Amino acid sequence: MTRKLFLIFSILLLIYMIWPGPGKISDFKALPNSDKSTLAGDNITQVPNVAAYFSENYREFVVPYYSKIYQSLNWLPFPPLRLNHPPEYSWTVIKKHTDSTYLEELIYPLKSSLFVNGFEPFYSDGTPKFWGSSTFGMNDHSWHTKTTIRFYPSSAVVRILVWSGIIISVYLLFKLGKKILT
Amino acid sequence: MSRYLTILNKLLFLLLLLLFAFIPLYPKFPLINVKGTFVAIRLEDLIIGLTVGLWFVYLILSKKLKVFLKDKLTQAMLLFFFIGSVSTFSAIFLTHSVVWHLSILHLLRRVEFIMLLPVVATTVKNKRGIISVLFTLLLVVLAVNLYAFGQQYLDWPVISTTNSEFSKGLILRLTPDARVNSTFAGHYDLAVFLAMVLVILTPVFFAVGKVLKPAIVIVGVISLVVLIMTAARLSFVAAFVGIIASLIFSRKKKYILIIIISLLAVLIYPSQLRDRFISTITINVFHQGTRYEGQTNDQQVRSKLNIPTLAVKTSSTSALTSTFATKSATISSDITPGEPIDTTQLGVYRSFQIRLNIEWPRAITAFMKNPFLGTGYSSIDIATDNDFLRSLGEIGLLGTIAFILIYIEIVKKILSLLKDDDKFLRFFSAGILSMLLTFVLNGLFIDVFEASKVASLFWMMLGLNLAVLNFKNETLKHF
Repeated sequence: MTRKLFLIFSILLLIYMIWPGPGKISDFKALPNSDKSTLAGDNITQVPNVAAYFSENYREFVVPYYSKIYQSLNWLPFPPLRLNHPPEYSWTVIKKHTDSTYLEELIYPLKSSLFVNGFEPFYSDGTPKFWGSSTFGMNDHSWHTKTTIRFYPSSAVVRILVWSGIIISVYLLFKLGKKILT
Repeated sequence: MSRYLTILNKLLFLLLLLLFAFIPLYPKFPLINVKGTFVAIRLEDLIIGLTVGLWFVYLILSKKLKVFLKDKLTQAMLLFFFIGSVSTFSAIFLTHSVVWHLSILHLLRRVEFIMLLPVVATTVKNKRGIISVLFTLLLVVLAVNLYAFGQQYLDWPVISTTNSEFSKGLILRLTPDARVNSTFAGHYDLAVFLAMVLVILTPVFFAVGKVLKPAIVIVGVISLVVLIMTAARLSFVAAFVGIIASLIFSRKKKYILIIIISLLAVLIYPSQLRDRFISTITINVFHQGTRYEGQTNDQQVRSKLNIPTLAVKTSSTSALTSTFATKSATISSDITPGEPIDTTQLGVYRSFQIRLNIEWPRAITAFMKNPFLGTGYSSIDIATDNDFLRSLGEIGLLGTIAFILIYIEIVKKILSLLKDDDKFLRFFSAGILSMLLTFVLNGLFIDVFEASKVASLFWMMLGLNLAVLNFKNETLKHF
């Protein structure tokens, strides 16, 4: 019975891990009604798999929007896990000196993740959040929010190697655990 | 060949004696700095590397490698290293959550600490060897304590690794409210070390002759005083829990009452430790204490948006009320609304809030990101202040289970030693078992398994205890 369960677990995990998904940032649609940023550090020639958009879209819309897109690109029946990170972590996962008022990670564990960073100097009613709040000027347009997304994909070879590592570890833990606990 | 093996074994034993003294006594001067972290490679790492290397040669030449590999504890340790390596690979190439060289550095640090256990367990060949090590340690503990007094009262130099600047090896002096760290570079590390000492000394006291008893009492009392000077609350509690456990394991329960009375006496006597205990109850348990309300209403509202990386002032919509800094000398200059005004209470409050709101959630997030393997060593910053959450976050469920298996196997081995005929070895084992408990308790609020000095000593002490199995019980085929 245990052997069968282990086999089923191994196969299901392998299928999940090698299931095809997005491979690059351009697979993700732009935010609706937005201007794509052409500023330094906001395009993939300088930072891999990054894109940024100026818009009037706030966090309540942006994160579920990308969550849906990410799920559809993965062809999976469940949405990605949503993790909330401290805004200052954006310096590590987006790029240094990224302004941020929220940072969320959408992740399919053991596959890939998409970081969604938002910089919202104003509340949605237009009042400034802090002293020095200003709008973003782009293409003769004034925007209230900037959203930066960065995608972290992984190669199928890496995933298969990690899968092998997990399966071997589970098997050895089970064998050794039985020896030690009995 | 056997002559060379004997010489090699003696050399290894001398190296171990050196390590037992060198690790606690040598200040944390960096030898080779590593880019991207203030964890540096130090002289002791090289001595440990040399010792482990020589030991491996000894293991091969003495043809004991097979026996060594057959041992369940060895297998658990190797599995732990294997899972750590898989986790590191996953962190570098799959989750992209680490800088590769830092993750490998931290993996190697774990290997370095844990490998000291089998080295000590196989090198110490008899009871005389154990006593030699313990005698060396007794002198070392005395020296560590005297140095702590020197720092407190004679302005002796302090080497600290509590921030990136200090960890460059700067020679500092204790400021009036700072806590002693002796040669341990951090007061928590010193406190954990002293807790280990007290817990081991307690049962050993009952096993030694009349000549040695006064020496143990003197070292024990001095260690307790220095432990109080560190004002480390958890280590203090862990030490007393460990002492009580050691009395139970060594069947000296009637002394527990004396220990409880001593504990109360220490807590009644005015000290920084007592103040911190009172503040803990006032602030963290009952949520009392006078709080800072801010200079304006605007500050109270804006303090909720506090993002350190924003280029703009987030504290206010007005340049005039943009800073929280107070003009009072008795109130901390960086206090924000909602924080306690009293400086001791403020320290206690922040100590707990940093854990509760930053470090622990960060580890839980890392665990959720990859429940099997975590996000790799070094991925959740330098500290989590809870070793179990850190383990789950860094190496996931698989790595944590492997570590628990190591722990269980060690406990099983030590439990078997509690029935030993030799009174001294039996009581020493009771002390080591209690030390394990003390370490686990400390691990609830401090990263003790990653604190190099105490972690190395911890695995070495376990090895010293398990050495008994090798020379006492021939029927058990240990390495």
